[in-house]
Amino acid sequence: MTHAALAAEASTVPDERFLIARAQQGDRDAARSLYDAHARRVHRVVFRLCGGDEEMARDFTQDTFIRVFDKLSSFRGESAFATWVHRIAVTVTLNGLRKEKRLKRGADDLDVANDLPAPTNNSDPDLRARLRAAIEALPPGSRASVILHDIEGYTHAEIGEMLGIAEGTSKARLFDARNRLKKALSAYAKDRD
Amino acid sequence: MTEDRLNELLDDARRTWPMPPEPDYQAMWGRIEQEAFSGVRKHETRTPSWLVYSIGLAATLVIGIGVGRLSMNNEAAVPTLAAVSTDTMTTTVGAYDRVASELLGRTVVLLTSLPAEGNVGSGERFSNQAIDLLTSTRLLLDSPAASDVRFKSLLEDLELVLAQIAMLQSGRTRQEIDLITDALEERDVVPRIRSAVARFSKGD
Repeated sequence: MTHAALAAEASTVPDERFLIARAQQGDRDAARSLYDAHARRVHRVVFRLCGGDEEMARDFTQDTFIRVFDKLSSFRGESAFATWVHRIAVTVTLNGLRKEKRLKRGADDLDVANDLPAPTNNSDPDLRARLRAAIEALPPGSRASVILHDIEGYTHAEIGEMLGIAEGTSKARLFDARNRLKKALSAYAKDRD
Repeated sequence: MTEDRLNELLDDARRTWPMPPEPDYQAMWGRIEQEAFSGVRKHETRTPSWLVYSIGLAATLVIGIGVGRLSMNNEAAVPTLAAVSTDTMTTTVGAYDRVASELLGRTVVLLTSLPAEGNVGSGERFSNQAIDLLTSTRLLLDSPAASDVRFKSLLEDLELVLAQIAMLQSGRTRQEIDLITDALEERDVVPRIRSAVARFSKGD
């Protein structure tokens, strides 16, 4: 069966189990269909976790799918395939960022947000930029929580599954991250108000 | 800044966060296909050499520190978090250190046996040990011991690895253990345990 035919068939079947089963048997066309179905969303999440670094986002997206197909035989369908793929994507990205030492660590890095240019009259774009800088300056786990929950719209249950943590831990991390953001933005917001 | 104001900003960010430029998905697939299906990369089940040596060293340090501290203080051999909460502030800090040392020691023992095992049925045993350690890890994450940024980061990674081990089930042990071993290696967990143990030994 060709890739196009598989993709067409996938679009008419509500679940992906048959594609996964074929890919588990080494069917590259099935694997390609799974890649086509998930690559864009994975790349978007990875891109945002990477702070907008296109090259890293492309590399980590590729690494994600290499690992997905490498480990596909261990996928038992206990979670949604998309969740499983995103869990691998988040793990690959956070590990990759740590390896590259390109990620700023620790709460002190929030000071980066205060080093941005002074506000101009065009204040909303400034505040947006500061919020993004503050999010990008968060520690890896906190940043992932904010991006996955507040920007990408995942639930705490989904984030917990992706990060391998309890749902309550995900909520606690987000609470902590949002407090850090408020702290980072408070001085600036006070100036504006 | 108020919660409402932050929510407004995050709502705005959700709508306006830049979308990534479209990469060349076809070219990306080329590398994925080559590496995932052509056997370009070799996937071997192995125990990394750093793991063998580091775990041995870390285990020795942990045992040494534990014996030293116990002989100095002449206190109960295994402090519990419940007992810790009733002590004075000074003793509490020391007690958290001991709980942390004990946790690291027990985790090292678990991680030491993990790559070498993989026998059918061993997953359940690992799982039960990991659940126990996971509880201690999460308690420590919520304790003053986690005020140290590096130690907190290590605890968060331990939480992730232990959660993976806790989910081990009989009959699928080898593959799951491979995944966990990968995570251990990628996150430099054992070298960081060694570093944390060294810090504890200095009394930091």
